[in-house]
Amino acid sequence: MRTKLITLLMLVSILITGCATATTQAPVNVVPPTAQIIRETAVPQTPQTIVQTVVSQVVVTPTPGPNPEAVIQNVEPNAKITFWTFWLSPTFDDYIKNTIARFNEAYPGVTVNWEDHQATFQDDLKAAFAAGNAPDVINLSVGEGWVSDYATQGLLLPLDDKVPQSVKDIYFPGLWKEQLVDGVNYQFPWYNFVAVELINTQIYTGTPQIDSQGTITSYTGGAGLKVADFPKTIDGLPALCATIKTKTNTLCDIRLTVNDLLAQMVYEGNVKVISDDGKTLTFNSPEGVAWLQMYVDMVKAGTVDKTILVSDQDRDGLNLFETGRAAFYQTGPNLIRDVRANNPGVYGYLAVVPAPIGKSGVAGKGGMGISVNGKTQYPNASIALAQFFTNPKSMTEFAKLVAVYPSSPSAYDDPFFSAPSMAIEDSAKPAAKEYISKLADIVPSIPNKADVNAIVLKYVQEALFNGVPAQKALDDAVAEANALLK
Amino acid sequence: MIKKFSLTPYLFLTPALLAIAIFVLYPIIAVVYYSFTDYTIVNPPVWVGLSNYSSLIHDTTFWRALSHSFVYLLVTPTLIFLSIILAIIVDRKLPGISAYRALFFIPVISGSIAVGIAWRLMLDTNGIINALLLSIGVLKEPIQWLAEPIYTLPFCMLMTVWLGVGYYMMIFLAGLQNIPDELYDAALIDGCNSWQKHWYVSVPGLRPQITFVAIISSLAALQVFNEVFTLTNGTGGVLQSGYTVVYYLWQQAFRLSHAGKASAIAMVLLLITLIFSMMNIRLLERGTEAE
Repeated sequence: MRTKLITLLMLVSILITGCATATTQAPVNVVPPTAQIIRETAVPQTPQTIVQTVVSQVVVTPTPGPNPEAVIQNVEPNAKITFWTFWLSPTFDDYIKNTIARFNEAYPGVTVNWEDHQATFQDDLKAAFAAGNAPDVINLSVGEGWVSDYATQGLLLPLDDKVPQSVKDIYFPGLWKEQLVDGVNYQFPWYNFVAVELINTQIYTGTPQIDSQGTITSYTGGAGLKVADFPKTIDGLPALCATIKTKTNTLCDIRLTVNDLLAQMVYEGNVKVISDDGKTLTFNSPEGVAWLQMYVDMVKAGTVDKTILVSDQDRDGLNLFETGRAAFYQTGPNLIRDVRANNPGVYGYLAVVPAPIGKSGVAGKGGMGISVNGKTQYPNASIALAQFFTNPKSMTEFAKLVAVYPSSPSAYDDPFFSAPSMAIEDSAKPAAKEYISKLADIVPSIPNKADVNAIVLKYVQEALFNGVPAQKALDDAVAEANALLK
Repeated sequence: MIKKFSLTPYLFLTPALLAIAIFVLYPIIAVVYYSFTDYTIVNPPVWVGLSNYSSLIHDTTFWRALSHSFVYLLVTPTLIFLSIILAIIVDRKLPGISAYRALFFIPVISGSIAVGIAWRLMLDTNGIINALLLSIGVLKEPIQWLAEPIYTLPFCMLMTVWLGVGYYMMIFLAGLQNIPDELYDAALIDGCNSWQKHWYVSVPGLRPQITFVAIISSLAALQVFNEVFTLTNGTGGVLQSGYTVVYYLWQQAFRLSHAGKASAIAMVLLLITLIFSMMNIRLLERGTEAE
């Protein structure tokens, strides 16, 4: 009897609970707004977390009427696509979500699942391709050569014949055509960086001594150099580093792009790295040797930080600068916010000048692109999203949040780019349009690029740290790497 | 009497066997298969026969990594020697001795990545080691320790010893506490001094622990990765000075996308570790038979 009573009570309580839940979940007459977030899961960032994945899903009910931002035709109805970005969350969560919401107004009915991947981006992406569930739309670095890496493996969608000419014309021609694989483009150019030198004037110039009237009378403790005299070309760096070492005992914070040394040879040394027929590597030329010899001489003179020189992490060089142990460091103005956040003491003495140009006369490649998975079920919806994020309006909105620069000329018509700004983060803004318009990928396609680069790195290090003459090191590298081209 | 077959024990075993099949057997079989393929992870594997193995034979970097891994085995006798010394030191009934034991054990419970980063900071040009050596006049100029090839492997090994010595000390301490006091008393009556007492009683008494530590520390040394990765910041050190077999395996698989070649390296490593384990077990059996 007692057991039956308890069972009855439990059943009643379950019923009551169920009814209560049903009551709270039944907003039957509530019409959802146009942009309704129906699921959002966020992994909160902790200061120690360097690997983070944020997932959000935005679904919008169809809205009638044409939208000027809807430039891609035949978008698949009810398409569900996934978009991966690289290291943009949580700082730009609102921007990304708002842009997706705008996209859904332009292309109603498309569901976009957005994920941000950070330190493990490349590993995650490779695993996703291997498992057959790679994202439809992918934020890939042009500067690091990721677009060509994935495109040469047949994983990305060729865009030239799928995007109308009127849409291609939105972008700077050099950026649309950069990083072609067999003459075909695989990316929408997204945001770019203007390479600048961050200068710690406490080391570079010295601490100003101010008289009673507030006038700077002299500088103490620094190298006594003038910011305005920073070298305009790469070949001015050895003398500069020697001066800084002599006067302040500080090493130069210079980094070889060890993940793509051939590209650095091309931009800095104007080196022809491969024959026209693509069958022989040619970077052991006098130009190549001169390029390498410059770094060998700096290592011999003890004027550069050797650890940073061969580090594959841009952040290592930035960390050295942020901690007040380097006179200058080349990076993008977008990372000035890191200096401000991590060491206001250095930020207070910060100056910014254009980065020196190499012998090629070309500043470098674009920054980030957006590509489409070659096996996506929804190619048009994916192209539409990639294009939407890179359209002038989306990019201008992004540039207003951080010092990155759009890849389309018309974006610079926005008054934001002509408005004067006192912030040092915006110091590259006035010259950004001209700078970005000249970015170009002048590095030819190299078969088995990663393996070739590993060989080049090995022999470049032999020259830098093991006393092997630069000519012999490059000869050996060419001999070994040529075998990979056959 | 005929034993009746019972399904029950097999049913109880099934979940564990399934887990082992999925998480142990399948990966091993897959690695064996991949070692005969050209596999870039993102594209399906293509059968290439023995070419991954033959490429290893001609790969000077692989041989360099293998030789570094064998050099790394020096940590094993170092660990055994230091751990026994430490165990003997802390095997005393003194006030606060537990605190000393805990201090030596702290590195064991610290994450190796965190420890690696801390060591990297200490070895930095402006780090505490240079500062100390400069202040006492040993150095006139700071040394970029981690950019000098000759220091890469020794510092990685030092870090391994520092991380592991507390753990092995506890194993030897437990072994020491199992040696009967009568044996030490007999040694003293026979005229042994303090040093001889440990040499003739403690060390033979610790033979099982020594064999155990030799096996697990040598296997760990052959498979070292974290120390190399963190101290060299993922580069393997200048001039490949920190390349070990597992580091090279990782680089081939995840940096150069040669998962097939990486699998072949894994098979070679498996073979080496198997031989090592069998040799160690054989030594253990001989020691036991001799007693």
